[in-house]
Amino acid sequence: MTPLCFCRVSALAAALALQGAPALAEAVVEGRVALPKPLHTPVMNKRYGIVAYGGVLSPYPPVAVVYLEGPFALPPSPATAQLAQKDLNFSPAILAIQVNTRVEFPNLDDTYHNIFSYSPAKRFDLGRYRSDERPIPSELFDVSGMVTVRCDIHEHMRAIILVLNTPYFVMSDLAGVYRLGGLPAGRFLLKAWVDSKTTLERPVELRDASTLHADFP
Amino acid sequence: MISTPEPRNSGIASFRIKLLVAMMLVVSFVAVAILLFAQRNMADSVRRDFQREFQNELAALHSVQAIRHAALAERCRELARKPRIHAALEDGALDLLYPSARDELLDVMDTDDGAFREPGAYTLRAHYYRFLDGKGRAIPPLDAKEVGELRPEEEAQLDLGKLPDTPQTGYILRDAGRDTETIDEVIAMPIISSDSGETIAAIVLGFKPPTLGGGSPDAWIEGGVWLGGHLDLPSLTESARADLAAQLSRAIPAPGVDQGGFEFRAGGAPYLASFERLNPASLFPAAYEVSIYPLAASAARERRLIWEFVAAGAVLLAGAFLASHFLSRRLSEPVEKLAVDSEENREHWHRAEAALETTSQELQRSARFSADASHQLKTPVTVLRAGLEGLLAGEQLGAEARDEVSALVHQTFRLASVIEDLLLLSRMDAGRLQIQFTRLDLSPLLEALLDDLGALPDIFDLEVDADIPPHLWITGEKRYAALILQNLLENARKYNHTGGRVRVSAAAQGDWAVVVIGNTGPAIPQSSQGHIFERFHRGAVGENVPGHGIGLNLARELARLHGGDIRLSRSDEAWTEFELRFRAEGAGATLPL
Repeated sequence: MTPLCFCRVSALAAALALQGAPALAEAVVEGRVALPKPLHTPVMNKRYGIVAYGGVLSPYPPVAVVYLEGPFALPPSPATAQLAQKDLNFSPAILAIQVNTRVEFPNLDDTYHNIFSYSPAKRFDLGRYRSDERPIPSELFDVSGMVTVRCDIHEHMRAIILVLNTPYFVMSDLAGVYRLGGLPAGRFLLKAWVDSKTTLERPVELRDASTLHADFP
Repeated sequence: MISTPEPRNSGIASFRIKLLVAMMLVVSFVAVAILLFAQRNMADSVRRDFQREFQNELAALHSVQAIRHAALAERCRELARKPRIHAALEDGALDLLYPSARDELLDVMDTDDGAFREPGAYTLRAHYYRFLDGKGRAIPPLDAKEVGELRPEEEAQLDLGKLPDTPQTGYILRDAGRDTETIDEVIAMPIISSDSGETIAAIVLGFKPPTLGGGSPDAWIEGGVWLGGHLDLPSLTESARADLAAQLSRAIPAPGVDQGGFEFRAGGAPYLASFERLNPASLFPAAYEVSIYPLAASAARERRLIWEFVAAGAVLLAGAFLASHFLSRRLSEPVEKLAVDSEENREHWHRAEAALETTSQELQRSARFSADASHQLKTPVTVLRAGLEGLLAGEQLGAEARDEVSALVHQTFRLASVIEDLLLLSRMDAGRLQIQFTRLDLSPLLEALLDDLGALPDIFDLEVDADIPPHLWITGEKRYAALILQNLLENARKYNHTGGRVRVSAAAQGDWAVVVIGNTGPAIPQSSQGHIFERFHRGAVGENVPGHGIGLNLARELARLHGGDIRLSRSDEAWTEFELRFRAEGAGATLPL
């Protein structure tokens, strides 16, 4: 759970820093996302990863990314996130970022990796590099959407970067429970990304200093 | 007739030649049969060896090809797993498909950069590649030069109509310019999405097919590919290739025919061709590997074998000829000896026959002489007797002269008797005397003769005893049986002495009727006993006894003609005895003719 918490905390911190919102007026939304039952799919690395089944990419074990969609302003300067390659896998396998975030791809293995993506939201190719490559190869994600990240050398390696047009997002735990705090008051669309083909959504009305309970579905 | 040596030698030579020819025929037939059998076996063995060699060679080449094909398939499979290609297809970046593949295929494509490569490496390099979309049609490349140029009709041959689930091997016809065509090998490898597990595309790579034998000068199998009536077999001339393609088109009529073979001629030389489906169960059109093997060497080997057999046969026949010659000489030797012996025998036989003929002629002449002489003598004797009797009847003779004439008349009777006996003997000698056998009772005949004997003037005052059964039946002719008995009785009376005795006994003894006539009188000397039955023999005792020495001989000859015999059974001072045997009537023994 450490990467999840780290991710959530860092993303939240970045979002809050960008927003510069007043601390007392924060709203909180929390709830539970009904996650699909984990598929018993053979994967090389039993740790957290991305699996594909029937043309659908989903995190394994299943988690959801819950985010609040609305007319939020982009941060003035790119934030930074990291998607490492460790033990011939991406870590984390799913990364949610706000648009205009630069993601670094540090190689923590003793072998070459070649990170690339042909996804419409972002096409890039970092080329081959080793762990001592400096600066750490990175890419700026300036268009929202889902980006499938692959390694050209290790065909099984797959990661998903969700590039979101919002600073408010969080990953659920393995039970689907999430808590998204520090939100502005107002009417928004709350979305839960479950897999590459499934994004649940529901409208929410947030009030200052109140906690809304919203479950999916 | 006595044969001359020449015909005899020619006959033996002819026999020897016939024997030789017969033996040669048998030996030749056996040798030819054995040689034919051996030659056929050897030819079969050579053919089997050749077929095995051919199959082994082909199998070796096929295994090399299978390894190459497996290597190519593995390369294609690797390509089909490449993340960039998957990314381009799965992430909707078709514009990046060929550029990505270009990088991935750098070491697969034959870039024609002029660098030296091993021939094997060359055949593992692709000349072009295309991706097939979800409907199995070729996705047009952005820049054909980078992926290997194909004419539209060539590219159309890559279309499969649907995506394959498994790797497919195919062959496409390509225009090599200057009205020549080549056939390329293509491998279509399905690309299975790692997202959906479904086949989302396929990559098709085109290779130059390896030629069987590899164009090596010492290769004896040449190979090519037949596709839809087109034959790519560069080692054949154009006309021979067209002929072979036509024959293949006839030999591969149905899709089910996957392999076969036949013999054909190209440029006057015989070849063995075999074909085998290269891509069974492929979505691509059926293509066949065609292997041709020149039969000239094999035919030469068979010809050489035949000549070897002919030479061996000639040597064998020559040996057989010599052996037959030797053997026929050895075998004809006893026959030759037999012929010589037979010739000598024939000569002896001829000589004996001639001698017999002469003897017979002399005998006949002698018999005829005797008969003639007897006849010639009988007439004058009769005339003489008639004359003498005439004189006796006359009155002019004195008493003394009358006695003389009377004695002379008596002598004429003796003379007539001798002539009669001689005539009988001559008839017997000439074999003209035939006994008329009848059933004859010997007893009354004997009694009648004894009566006659008693009626004769008895100078010795003889006592005659007779022991005769009432009947004693024999087979014979009465006249001659009487003559025999009469001669014996006459002898018994003549060779006797005064007061002597004659005894006649007759009895049946088994098959015989035995008559024993004994008399007293001087003994026949031992030295004469063996000759008394000879003609004109008269014993010393009979010098004063009238007779002419043919009576006993005549009697025995007649007795033998009757199947019986006469022998002297006893002769000493006291008694002389003759035993006469006749065949009893009904005796089984055959009678002499």
